[in-house]
Amino acid sequence: MRAPTSSMLALLAFWAVGPLYLMLKVSVSPPGEVMTARPTLLPHGLTLEHWRRLLEAGQVLPPLGKSLLTAGLVAAAALLLAAPAAYNLARLPSRWRYGILLGLFLVRMLPEVGIALPVAVVFLRWGLMDSVTGLVLAHLTLVLPVAAWVLTTTFLAIPREVEEAAALDGCSAWQTLWRVTLRLAVPGLTVAGLLAWLFSWEEFLLATYLTLGAKTMPLQVYYYLYQGNWFLTAAAATLMTAPVLLLTGLLQRHLRATSLAGAAR
Amino acid sequence: MRPRDLVGLLPLALYLAGFTVVPVASTLALSVSAPGGGITLDHFRRIAGHYQFGEAVVNTVAVAGIGLALELLLGLAAALALIGRPAGRKSLGAIRTPVDWVGTRGLALFTVAVADAWKVTPLVMLILLAGLQAIPGELYEAARTDGASRWRQFAAITLPLLKPALTMALIVRGVDAFRIFALPLALTGRGLPVLSTYAYVEYLEYGNPHTSAASSAILLIMILLAVGTYLKLAGPEEVLR
Repeated sequence: MRAPTSSMLALLAFWAVGPLYLMLKVSVSPPGEVMTARPTLLPHGLTLEHWRRLLEAGQVLPPLGKSLLTAGLVAAAALLLAAPAAYNLARLPSRWRYGILLGLFLVRMLPEVGIALPVAVVFLRWGLMDSVTGLVLAHLTLVLPVAAWVLTTTFLAIPREVEEAAALDGCSAWQTLWRVTLRLAVPGLTVAGLLAWLFSWEEFLLATYLTLGAKTMPLQVYYYLYQGNWFLTAAAATLMTAPVLLLTGLLQRHLRATSLAGAAR
Repeated sequence: MRPRDLVGLLPLALYLAGFTVVPVASTLALSVSAPGGGITLDHFRRIAGHYQFGEAVVNTVAVAGIGLALELLLGLAAALALIGRPAGRKSLGAIRTPVDWVGTRGLALFTVAVADAWKVTPLVMLILLAGLQAIPGELYEAARTDGASRWRQFAAITLPLLKPALTMALIVRGVDAFRIFALPLALTGRGLPVLSTYAYVEYLEYGNPHTSAASSAILLIMILLAVGTYLKLAGPEEVLR
C-alpha cells in the first residue's frame, strides 16, 4: 500500500474512532480534567464514580431493557414481514420489481415528523403510548423498506437453477425454500436483521413522540444531556454503544461492502 | 404472473400503507383543515409569519448543504483510499484556541453538519465503494499506458463513471439531512431550529397539530422536489440498479 493511502486510512480511522474515544474517556475522567477551557486528549486520572452513579441511581436499566426488547422484536418482525415480500419481489418480472422497489424507496423518503404526529394521536387513543408494542409498530415503518430492499438483492443473487436442481432431487416446494433458499440467504437475512436492530436501537424521533414516561435508551441519554451532566451522558452513551460494537463485531463475517451498500440507501 | 407470486408482498404492502402512507396523508389533511371544518391555508400563513419557521427552513437547507459537501468529500476520499485508486491530497489544520462550538448560529450550523457527517460518512463511503468496484481496472491500465497523470485518470475515468453512485449518495443522504432531528436538538437544544424540530415543538410544546402538520408538509414538499430532481437526472432504472 502506498504511503498517502495508508496515512489517509489512518486519518479516517482517527476520524471514526476519535469521538467514541472521547465519550469513553469523559465517562471515566475526574470532573476537573474535563470541565476546563483546554481539556487534554490523553487521560490522566481514572474514576469509576460516574459509572457507579449511573448504575446506582437505577434510572438507566429500565430504558436499557425497553430498548433491547424493542430492537429485538423490531428485527424479528422486520425479517418476518420483509423476507416473504423480498422473495416474491426477486421472482417478479423486472418491470414490476422496479416499480415496487421505487415505491419502497419513496416511502423511505417520507418525513418522520409527518408519520409520527398522526401515529401518536392514534396510539394515545389506543393506549399504546409508552408501550413496547407501539414502539415496535412505529419503528417497523422506518425499517421495512430497507429490510425489503436488502433481502430482494439477496434473493436475486440466489440463482433459480439451484432451486430447480433441488426440486429435481425430489425436494418439495417447502423443503426447497427451507433447506436451500433460506440457507443460502442467511448472510442477507443477518444483514437485514442487524440493520433493523440498529435502526430501532438508536431511533429518537418516533420514540420522543410515543413516550410519556417510560423512556428508551436514546431518550435517557438525551435526558442526561439536557440536565447538563456530561459524565452521566458519556457513561450512558458508552453503555448504549457497547451492544452495537459487540453485535457488529460478532456479525462481521457476514458483512460485505456490496450488501451494505444496498442498505445504505 | 399468478396471485400466489404476490402473496408474500401483501402483509408488507398493507403494513406500509396503514402505518406510513395513511399517516402522512392525514398529516397533509391536518395541515389544510380548518378547526370548524373545511379547507384553509391559515396554518401555512401562520407559520410563514413565524420567524422561527423561516430560520428553520434556512437552517435545514444549510445543514444539509454543509453536511453533504463534507460527507461526499470524506466518503470519496475514504473509498478511494480503500480501493487504492488515484486521488489528490489534502491537509488538516489544527485548532488551538478554545471555541464555544454552538455559541453563534454559524458555528452551530457547522457543528451540527460535522456531527452529521461523522455519523453518515461511512454509509456514503460504502455507496461510493460499491460504485468504484464496478469500474473496470483495465481502464486505468490503458490510461497509464497512454501516459495520463493520476489527476487526469481521476477526472476522466473515476468521476464520470462514479456519477450514478455519487448522485445516489447525494439524494439519499440529502433527504436524510433534510429530516435531521436528534443532532440539532442534542447539540443546541432550541438554539438551531430545523424543520423537523420545529414541527416537534409546535405539536408537543405548543399543542398545535395543525401548524406542526403544515411544517411537515413543507418538509415533504422539499423532499419530493429533491427526489423528483434526482429521478429526472438519473432515471428510475438508475436508482434501482
